[in-house]
Amino acid sequence: MFPILSVMTYIPLLGMIAILAAPRNNPNLVRWISVVATAVPLALGIYLYMSFDRTTPAMQFVEQFDWIKPFNIQYYMGIDGLSVPMVLLTLLLSFLCVIASWGIEDGVKGYYAMFLFLETGMMGVFCALDFFLFFLFWEIMLLPMYFLIGIWGGKEKVYAAIKFFLYTLFGSVLMLLVMVGMYYYSEPHTFNLLQLAQGHQFVGKTVALFGYQLPVDKLFWIGLFIGFAIKVPIWPFHTWLPWAHVEAPTAVSVILAGVLLKMGTYGILRMNYPILPEATLWASNFMMILGVINILYGAFCAMAQKDLKKLVAYSSVSHMGYVILGMASFTTAGVNGAVLQMFNHGTSTAMLFLLVGVIYDRVHHRWIVKPDGSKGFGGIASVVPVYTGIMAIGLFASLGLPGLSGFISEALVFLGAFSNPKFQTYVVIGSLGILLGAAYLLWMFMRVFLGPLNEEHKDLEDINWREILTLAPLCVLVIVLGVYPMPVLNLMGSTIAKLLTLFS
Amino acid sequence: MLGETLHNIKLLAPEVCLTLFLCLLFVVDGILPKMRTNRFSMITTVVGCLAALVLTCKVGQTPEAYFGGMVVNDGLTKFFRYFFYFTAAVSCYLAFGSNEIEKQSRMEFSLLLLCTTIGMGIMATASNLLVLYMGIEMVSIISFVMAGFKRDNLRSNEASFKYLVFGGVASGLMIYGFSLMYGLTGSLNYPQIAAYLTSTQGNLGLVFWLALVLIYGGLAYKISAFPMHFWAPDVYEGAPTPVATFFSVGPKAAGFAAFIRIFLTVFSVKTAEGNWQMINGISLAHVIAIISALTMLVGNLSAIGQTNVKRILAFSSIAHVGYMLMGLVTLDRSGLTAIIFYLIAYCAMNLGAFWVVSVVSNIRGREDLDAFRGLGWSMPVLGTCMAVFIFSLTGIPMFSGFIGKFLIFGSVIKSGGFLWLALLGVLNSVVSLYYYVKILKSMWLDKPESQESLSLSFYHAVGLVGLAIPTIVLGLYFTPILEFAERTLSNIL
Repeated sequence: MFPILSVMTYIPLLGMIAILAAPRNNPNLVRWISVVATAVPLALGIYLYMSFDRTTPAMQFVEQFDWIKPFNIQYYMGIDGLSVPMVLLTLLLSFLCVIASWGIEDGVKGYYAMFLFLETGMMGVFCALDFFLFFLFWEIMLLPMYFLIGIWGGKEKVYAAIKFFLYTLFGSVLMLLVMVGMYYYSEPHTFNLLQLAQGHQFVGKTVALFGYQLPVDKLFWIGLFIGFAIKVPIWPFHTWLPWAHVEAPTAVSVILAGVLLKMGTYGILRMNYPILPEATLWASNFMMILGVINILYGAFCAMAQKDLKKLVAYSSVSHMGYVILGMASFTTAGVNGAVLQMFNHGTSTAMLFLLVGVIYDRVHHRWIVKPDGSKGFGGIASVVPVYTGIMAIGLFASLGLPGLSGFISEALVFLGAFSNPKFQTYVVIGSLGILLGAAYLLWMFMRVFLGPLNEEHKDLEDINWREILTLAPLCVLVIVLGVYPMPVLNLMGSTIAKLLTLFS
Repeated sequence: MLGETLHNIKLLAPEVCLTLFLCLLFVVDGILPKMRTNRFSMITTVVGCLAALVLTCKVGQTPEAYFGGMVVNDGLTKFFRYFFYFTAAVSCYLAFGSNEIEKQSRMEFSLLLLCTTIGMGIMATASNLLVLYMGIEMVSIISFVMAGFKRDNLRSNEASFKYLVFGGVASGLMIYGFSLMYGLTGSLNYPQIAAYLTSTQGNLGLVFWLALVLIYGGLAYKISAFPMHFWAPDVYEGAPTPVATFFSVGPKAAGFAAFIRIFLTVFSVKTAEGNWQMINGISLAHVIAIISALTMLVGNLSAIGQTNVKRILAFSSIAHVGYMLMGLVTLDRSGLTAIIFYLIAYCAMNLGAFWVVSVVSNIRGREDLDAFRGLGWSMPVLGTCMAVFIFSLTGIPMFSGFIGKFLIFGSVIKSGGFLWLALLGVLNSVVSLYYYVKILKSMWLDKPESQESLSLSFYHAVGLVGLAIPTIVLGLYFTPILEFAERTLSNIL
């Protein structure tokens, strides 16, 4: 069988090698290599979407063979309904970001090489079904990310890069311990995620720490959860996010918010849920509370921001809270809504970051209110109407206006969570987030786009064709999925149904 | 009798071979003074090391003790011999590309290096406390000279003197410990000591524990473990970089060879399943765990504030000793396999990292973080290789250092009892990222101040890439090393 997943994963890597071999003085060649190296996997992704069997929760397009025999480590790739939306999102955003990065002039070779390497890592994470392989890809992403933020970022890039690196590594080493622990506590010893999920192997086992006998499955759950929570990021592990998102170059912010954050929630659904269902139920209240805190805390922080990009960054914290809320509800609607929200937030927040990047490229600042108290923008809707229109679509999708994608997923999340009687109070508190979301986004829109024109920006150029090219596919998705979300919901339905049988 | 002696000498073939090459250098130095300054002595040393490597592979396939049980030839001996000869050859190659080793003294350098290598080999084969002492002294005394190789440099002299004073104290402690052990057990041969200790049924007097502490003091000095690690940063900083490179890998691994062998054959006995068990009355697992924890904490926490890259790497090498000691805690095959793998990985990545420092120090004449500024952009190969070594030292997947940590933590978690140590270990690797990445930040994230045209010579590129490739390959596919470790462990006497 044609190893489509591996091909999709490693084409960017080949692209990276080609770029490193390319001559130094020809940036356009490098850019076109990157376009090809991301377009081919995207084309394959469309084929994947067409031929994916939506009726079965089983793994598809499986590739499996021994890799490191003495440890029973396998090269095991495969996708189910949970991974497909994420794979598609990754492929699409990577391709768009390559185009959106056209304006990078310094160290073009290095930039695109790192970017393609990053895509390989992301694809690997969503396709890997062996814990060791998963961990490898998970960590591989850190390296290009560190350089992308640290070299091509904004003023505080060095601090942002190291902060991101340290936080994520902290999470990963806990995950490493859990990985090794799962291997030795499973019978037979294995890293295979599907085998680990069979038979509730970790329930009832204990391990000694400072003389206390602690239940293994709960420890594993906590270790994994912290590792993933840092990536999501879930409060109180979120403090790397504003730095990394704000200082990163536009395309990298898009990838960070669009794909990397989803890895956290994907990881929880892929590992914590099926492998440690008892511990997941045990922690469900805790997850709910964290979800609500995320929603409200992110929203309040966003409201206080004077920097456009920081506002979008904090809005991500808030929106990922919905995902946690939906996941922790253990209802069909809730979990479906959560995964749909992962996809929808990927598209809408990518739009917002791209749009912020567009304006930053033109005026080299993105203050809503400048540090000295004067207005950063104001009334630019009359100068840049097309830009304003697209911004409105992204913004309304993000705040959940009916008819756009964000509404459906948020509605499903609240519907699901509310139908679980245990969590109704949380849902009521959490739903305030929708109100707050509307408040900070509309307030921002008002201060930047409406009102009297700020004379500083009367010569602002409207959005150009290349920028429209990167935004148009996302616009279409946001609108189409807002009206008819079934193309994505169909993909994951059976997988989630099977996952939820563990909790009924 | 003669036949037996000949057979014994045959088992010592690698050392004999190195000695012959040493003599060759002496003779050539006497007859042809012109050969002092060219690369003849390097080629001789490298060829000598390679010949010794091949001989190690060829002689003595079955493990046996010889020369009256004073030395052994087994899997552990073989592994460490490969390791030392490889390290010596690489260090020699590096030294000849560095301007810190003056042209006039190249011959001396090669001679000293070969001498130390023989000493390290003896440390790895010793199965008798006195032979071990001889090996250690052979390595130490020559190391003092090598540390002070830059005779007119104050730092180098300081390094040499500090090393000497510390070394003197440490060997004094150790030989006192040996004599107590001899007085207590009536033998210097490891198996006999073990036999006596077993026969005491756990009634070990205070003298035994005193001897144990003293012996540990000496060995800890060699591997720079807590609390005998203080010399390492100063010595590495003052010594010429190629010498520091060699110190951080070669003699340290030799110390590990002695440490492991004493641990396995003096204080433990082999069980039927091929594992080891501490002799009744001696249970050192917790002690080793605490030493390991303190060593990595001291190494990592001290490295944070450093600005000299050589000092950073010196403290990091202390921290790595801490990680490796974790493998001894559980005393089973998985732990020892992990140590063997870790040593191999450490060899490539640490040699590589020091190599980069040596190249930079030749260009800039200093080794602080600022000297690395922007070098990634002007010399991409150097910068990329350094990134590989640094990430590997941190323990990030795809690189061999990660697999080393994976195996080490695995062995600790497997045992079930030392979860705290594993937790501390992984947190330490997060801490270590902070200071390691400072080097990469200087190289890549900071822009160079002026446009300078620098290029990496082919000579150094070969070495760096040659070390970077195994660092990556072993991070992605390590089955052969696991099998090799398995064979090695099955062949321990």
